[in-house]
Amino acid sequence: MTSYRLDKGGLIDRSKPLSFTFDGKGMIGVEGDSLASALLANGQMLLGRSFKYHRPRGVISAGASEPNALMTVAQGGRTEPNTRATMQELYEGLVAQSQNRWPSLNIDISSLNSLLSPFLSAGFYYKTFMWPAGLWERLYEPLIRRAAGLGKATYEADPDRYEKCWAHCDLLIVGGGATGLAAALTAGRAGARVILVDENAMIGGGLLSETATIGGVSAVEFAGRTVAELESLPNVQVLSRTTAFGWYDGNVFGAVERVQKHASEPRPEVPVERLWRIVAKQAILAAGAEERPLIFGGNDIPGVMMASAMRAYLNRYGVAPGKSVAVFTTNDSGYTLARDLEKAGLRLVAIVDSRRSGATAGVYEGSARIINGGFVPDAEGGKALSSITILQDGRKEKLAVDSLAMSGGFSPVVHLAYHRGGRPEWSDAEATFVAPEDHKGLSLAGAAAKASGLAGCLEAGARKAEALLGKLEIKADPAAFGAVEGDIVAAPTKPVWIIPGIKGKAFVDFQNDVHHRDIGLAVREGYGHVELAKRYTTNGMATDQGKLSNVNAIGLLAEARGVSPADVGTTTFRPFYTPVSFGALAGTSHGKHFQPVRKSPLHDWAVKNGATFVETGLWYRSAWFPLAGEKTWRESVDREAKNVRRNAGLCDVSMLGKIEITGKDAAEFLDRVYCNAFRKLPVGKARYGLMLREDGFIFDDGTTSRLEDERFFMTTTTAYAAGVMNHLEFCAQALWPELDVRLASVTDQWAQMAIAGPKSRLILQRIVDQDISNEAFPFLGAKDVSLFGGKLSGRLFRISFSGELAYELAVPAGYGEAAADALMEAGNEHGICAYGVEALSVLRIEKGHVTHNEINGTVVPTDLGFGKMVSATKVDFIGKRLLEREGLNDPNRLQLVGVVPLDSGTSFRSGAHVLEKGAEATLENDQGYISSSCYSPHVGSTIGLALVKRGSSRHGEEVQVWNGLLNEFTAARLCHPIFVDPANEKLKG
Amino acid sequence: MSVSAIEHRAALGGKAPLISTGVTLRTLPEGHVLHLLSASADSDVSATISAVLGCDALTKRSVSPGQWFVVGDEPLSAAALADIVKKVKPHAEVVDQSHGRVRIAIAGAKATSVLAKGTAADLALNVFPVGHATTTLIGHIATHITRVSEDGFELMVLRGFAESLWEELAELSVEFR
Repeated sequence: MTSYRLDKGGLIDRSKPLSFTFDGKGMIGVEGDSLASALLANGQMLLGRSFKYHRPRGVISAGASEPNALMTVAQGGRTEPNTRATMQELYEGLVAQSQNRWPSLNIDISSLNSLLSPFLSAGFYYKTFMWPAGLWERLYEPLIRRAAGLGKATYEADPDRYEKCWAHCDLLIVGGGATGLAAALTAGRAGARVILVDENAMIGGGLLSETATIGGVSAVEFAGRTVAELESLPNVQVLSRTTAFGWYDGNVFGAVERVQKHASEPRPEVPVERLWRIVAKQAILAAGAEERPLIFGGNDIPGVMMASAMRAYLNRYGVAPGKSVAVFTTNDSGYTLARDLEKAGLRLVAIVDSRRSGATAGVYEGSARIINGGFVPDAEGGKALSSITILQDGRKEKLAVDSLAMSGGFSPVVHLAYHRGGRPEWSDAEATFVAPEDHKGLSLAGAAAKASGLAGCLEAGARKAEALLGKLEIKADPAAFGAVEGDIVAAPTKPVWIIPGIKGKAFVDFQNDVHHRDIGLAVREGYGHVELAKRYTTNGMATDQGKLSNVNAIGLLAEARGVSPADVGTTTFRPFYTPVSFGALAGTSHGKHFQPVRKSPLHDWAVKNGATFVETGLWYRSAWFPLAGEKTWRESVDREAKNVRRNAGLCDVSMLGKIEITGKDAAEFLDRVYCNAFRKLPVGKARYGLMLREDGFIFDDGTTSRLEDERFFMTTTTAYAAGVMNHLEFCAQALWPELDVRLASVTDQWAQMAIAGPKSRLILQRIVDQDISNEAFPFLGAKDVSLFGGKLSGRLFRISFSGELAYELAVPAGYGEAAADALMEAGNEHGICAYGVEALSVLRIEKGHVTHNEINGTVVPTDLGFGKMVSATKVDFIGKRLLEREGLNDPNRLQLVGVVPLDSGTSFRSGAHVLEKGAEATLENDQGYISSSCYSPHVGSTIGLALVKRGSSRHGEEVQVWNGLLNEFTAARLCHPIFVDPANEKLKG
Repeated sequence: MSVSAIEHRAALGGKAPLISTGVTLRTLPEGHVLHLLSASADSDVSATISAVLGCDALTKRSVSPGQWFVVGDEPLSAAALADIVKKVKPHAEVVDQSHGRVRIAIAGAKATSVLAKGTAADLALNVFPVGHATTTLIGHIATHITRVSEDGFELMVLRGFAESLWEELAELSVEFR
């Protein structure tokens, strides 16, 4: 065993050594060790350098609040910076590196910062690096970031698995100490669904460092037995290594389980971390209390630690904190440690008690020197503690010690209780901030709610569980436990915020290097409000979120302002309680599983035909179908577009939203949601519809067909499919519940293909059983058809986005690929080609058809030339009233217009702005912008659709198109937005 | 014209079942899924429809107030569908979703654990008994879940998302294989 490891005691297995390295140096710990306890057992007191002054730091706590012993653990893609050594379980082969030091932990050049500390006080950066402003981003910030920092994240990919999970329970218990275990046992025995979470590997909380007995057995054994009983109950789930980090709406708690962070070789099929969302009917916060540090000079020197932490290292890990120890306390709890230190045979030099009256009678019967009414104004040492100065009645005395425990009283851990608002209040009696016991859905119990002592906590936990289950009408009997013996119940004492006679730097916030003078400075400079002081000094802003520092900072602020801590109040509590990895938050949503993929029923048909795909939202759409020899996408797209106008093409339009609307009032409903009329649409006909928002702007467009008197088939744009469905449901359920209308999303039911081009009818007629001649099935026809001699039924619509004679055929999705194959085969002799969304776009721009490029939330129907579609006779429709607003009828509004370059060899892009000929490129001169553009193989140049002031009356005007990103000017002419077949002869032929 | 080649193609065709002691995933036949939409959410309407069609809670599954899915492993002929529409018509509209929805079966002692990684729905047997159904999200994918046995569920998903859901479930069940 190493020099600091005790021969016996602790919840460790000395027969199972674990080797690990710290800054490359090999060390041995044992099973049951934390990284911190193993380092201490190896006599490694210096564990890191502080954030700003690069001061040597050791370990100060034994748990989640650790601000000093932060290190980078593991290697490669598993590298995890800023790991609290106190929370990291030791495993065989663990590799740990200290942080924020150069060239080494022992010799850190930046520790010279300490000499500059008179200049590095709070607010230093704000005051010093004000000017010149340009240097901030380029020089100051990078320098400061390099000098002041934490560990570095790796650029390598994390090889491990993460996941997210939901859980539900009657009672969630946060914290597995005496209170939590009593509550869980009470609720578990009553048959309630219970989840108990605790952030440590071993459940038991403070019981694990306790030397008292409960019902005649040791506290440790009591914890073990209780956990065993809980785990035997099918209605109880015990989650160790799980930190509840947030309380959210709906009584949902966020928790992260470190499933395999303690494993040498994580099993690849099991996640290393799991993010839990726990839905609890009731919850108990039994997170205990945090011991407060005392603020004296050198309180950060390695060897100074919290009394409760020292007790944990001693009793739980079997590690001696040093060779000669002193205890500095303001309350009775320090004597529990003193007793245990003496029992372990360690040299206890002195107990310094700030109270003149000393310990409560009967609390301490040991033999150590007791200095009542004494203080430790300063501790001395460099990389390790060497001595402390004692101040008693004006006299100073130096004691040689290598270890000092401090106890400034306790603050309940109430963080979670205020994630949904509110703040705890100061209590003079408790000498700390306290929270009401019962919040809606979350109650506090045990040390988190003012109970003290093991017996008090056990009873409080059991009673609270009984009461909360009562609210759920579950009868529970509070679990009873035998007598507690050997426990010292420390009553609250008046806090000592600042130790008199300090010479050195007395740290308040260890992680962010905020010392007591910074707090005074903040008050003097006008930042005395608790939220301002926090930002000004950075107290409580580090990754530890001020678990050890916040209450002390408030105490100091109160003293500096001459008020009670009650008047200062606390800062705001927010998730996360402790840092949560991005891996856990992302769960499985990365790489291939980053987002779901939505595939068209014609996806494999497109693959077979050589499609290049483009992601459109979650859909994979076929963008173009390159043929052998085509070198650029434009070659393919030009060919496809030309072929559609010359012969025919087939395009997958399955991703358009499709909604079936039925019910007695379906027609009336459509009349209200569209600005144009639908009530009198005949059965067997399709109609283009414009849907407005309440504010009069266009929401979406599409065709709706009447299949039966009370059955309509609506199509929406791909992008707005879900939005339109939601809108319609809202209209049906909330606006007009009196209408009988029923909505079913059938987007995925149908494989839908556009067959466009002069030969489309010839091709379609090969597979459609009914006559589809122009007479039998004219433009805007819509009907159910029989296909392949009755083998299949489909729906045929004679609608056109390309401006050609065109149809859309819908077949049940499972037959989509077969139908598309058959059409390609039937069209082969007529020169059919597959075309993608790029050619589709060329064809529609040539035809002046709008999409959401134009319907971009800023346009009303008249802007697009749809003014006549807006019904003047309907009593009402969504958008009618606000469409009458003056601004929406302003003649200067941007209107749809076509644009062509004067020189067909020049081009422009969407997003470019339109300026009058010769006008300077200024905001005042802006005439509008190009909304869509493409190369038109039929016009022989780039063409565009634009939204331009008074555009519809400016056809023929020469303008310039300005691309501000490339600073390009293109001479162009405004024109009619329909470039191909303006008389619409082709689509009706 | 080779009309004989008009073959149905299943969205999850070719996906072999994933079988382990903890959890089994398998695709279900693309038979029929009929979406029934009533003007009323009254329970007697539901009972009437069940009686008219002679179906139980596993065949006719609740979707939302006044809406149900009627499912089966066999495809329906046009005549069979017309017959159902005729029977149901006085009480509800019928929209055929047989091709729009794909069903996946998940079963086994760990089925609930796998699903809990995706859905916020409480799947405890006493809360979510056999025959109970709900629409929820599994990860990012909207899914209709029905409990079909003590340790078995049917998941119904939009056809376009079927492959993604299958892959997501496969990923979520890795630890139990």
